[in-house]
Amino acid sequence: MEQGNGKLTVLDPRGQPTGIFGRRLDAESNPRAILDPAEQPSGELKPIALAPRLSTLQGKTVYLVETGFAGSVEFMQEVQEWFGRRMPDVKIVMRQKRGTMFTDDPELWREMKAAGADAAILGVGG
Amino acid sequence: MTARFADFVERDARDRGTPLRFGFPPYPVMGMSREVLRGYVEGADPITSEPLMDEIVEALTSPLTEKEKHPTIVRKPRHSRLLLADAPENLYRQFVENGWTDGLPIVLPTEARVAEMLTGTDRGAHEIVGRMLITTHQEKMEYTVEKVAAIAVMAGARPEHFPVILALAASQEPSMPSSTTSWGRMMVVNGPIRDEIGMNCGTAALSPFNLANSVIGRAWTLMSINFGDARAGETFMASFGHNLNYNNMCFGENEELSVFEPFHVQKGFRPDESVVSLFRGWNVLNFGLGPAKEMAHVISTFGAMASTVTFVVDPLVAKNLRAEGFQTKRDACKWIVENSKVPAGHYWEGQMQAGFAAGLAKQGIEPFASWAKLPKDAPIAPRRSPDDINIVVAGGETNPMWITTDFMHTRSVSIDPWRPKCGIRRDARPLRMPAAVTCKDGMCGIPEVAPAREAEVVSGQKTPVSR
Repeated sequence: MEQGNGKLTVLDPRGQPTGIFGRRLDAESNPRAILDPAEQPSGELKPIALAPRLSTLQGKTVYLVETGFAGSVEFMQEVQEWFGRRMPDVKIVMRQKRGTMFTDDPELWREMKAAGADAAILGVGG
Repeated sequence: MTARFADFVERDARDRGTPLRFGFPPYPVMGMSREVLRGYVEGADPITSEPLMDEIVEALTSPLTEKEKHPTIVRKPRHSRLLLADAPENLYRQFVENGWTDGLPIVLPTEARVAEMLTGTDRGAHEIVGRMLITTHQEKMEYTVEKVAAIAVMAGARPEHFPVILALAASQEPSMPSSTTSWGRMMVVNGPIRDEIGMNCGTAALSPFNLANSVIGRAWTLMSINFGDARAGETFMASFGHNLNYNNMCFGENEELSVFEPFHVQKGFRPDESVVSLFRGWNVLNFGLGPAKEMAHVISTFGAMASTVTFVVDPLVAKNLRAEGFQTKRDACKWIVENSKVPAGHYWEGQMQAGFAAGLAKQGIEPFASWAKLPKDAPIAPRRSPDDINIVVAGGETNPMWITTDFMHTRSVSIDPWRPKCGIRRDARPLRMPAAVTCKDGMCGIPEVAPAREAEVVSGQKTPVSR
């Protein structure tokens, strides 16, 4: 609105923050759903603290989880070989996350805990 | 995560209250040889210059910080409804410098202009229309009818265009979904509203000769920038972007000259409903000529990961397809699916298939698992169903050509819930660009007054003008 002094008031065009964030798709989802607002899982966030760290990796079981990005299998295989060369007493278990890079895999996380995984490295994204 | 996205993922983790520990190998990883990848693993993190694997071991073994033990989410503040009053040139500068525009001049969304725009619908100004974001996982942004009206003003729209723009907003789909792969979008309007607001469906429908096509397509991008929180390099990560992002290939289907069912009717809407249909993809080949066999041949050369194709065809092409014996669009699509097979070896040579579909095949996910077992010369149909192929009719019958895209149809949204009950709110003298001249009688573009004289000037010869 013109204020008589040559100034205008205009609307702020930006959307308002909601506190609602997107989440990973279920493993069985159609990969296309990641771009579909009607199918994107979303919700209010709660902060998540990191899991306690190990004092050493010596003698521990470390899962290498391949995320599904192009090239990540080969990259994680090189990580596995690095452990074989440099830290051979670390037990490495290679796993491929189910679905695509857009999906969560809670079944795998449960399986890793049940199998006594001490740590996990996920890679590689982007 | 690779180093190219270090800032992106660290900011994302902070925003979400999940302060993950990252190590960053160089970028890219896709398509690199094992020797290169070994070098990445043995080498340094480009962000910290520390050895990558030492950093990863450290990430698993060094004690947590207090922030990592007790993370918090810092909520973004809500924006005020109005900006501080200022001179128009300063406000314009503010819009440009804050990245709230597409770089082209805008109309400033004053309260009066927004109020005028709101007369284009019966819906309440403060009604929530939806939430949008150009990324899939960050904080979604909410918008009201009034916010959408502000965007419509900025784009140069009139109240008559507002119902279509509201329907776009209600789709909640951004026109510029963030991907390093650079998406493009297309939007097609069907139904009576095309004529009511003067959209171009005919000659030059995809070129800048029509106000409605221009401002509606532009509004979708302005709302994606401002509601979808698009910021280049921060949230919008397309390596080179897409020129379609300016206008999103906005046009109306030429239902009047098409021999086929309108697109929205194919999607279950009534013929008298007004609907906007949205498409998404990467590739646009603007030169296609010939029968269905040639259409099948062209798509067999497309990268097939997305497995979808949308043809935009001139009405003459639709007539030619009918003459070939296809009674419906679906008949033609079914034939094209069955006749655009590629050898399995050719399919798996594609970088997208090798990089992404191969992983799905290893997990036993069909059809990739079966395709991976086929001999190299076995034919496969990357487009598996007629539903993977769309045909939309547009153009003015100046050439029987078609455009090939790899676009998938994502959604069709009814415009009618956003129309005023008393009808489209048009200006007393609706603002229109010159309509394309349509030849009905051999007099195309030749004025009524002194036609022979103009013809002489143009040709330099005495050219008889037939009536």
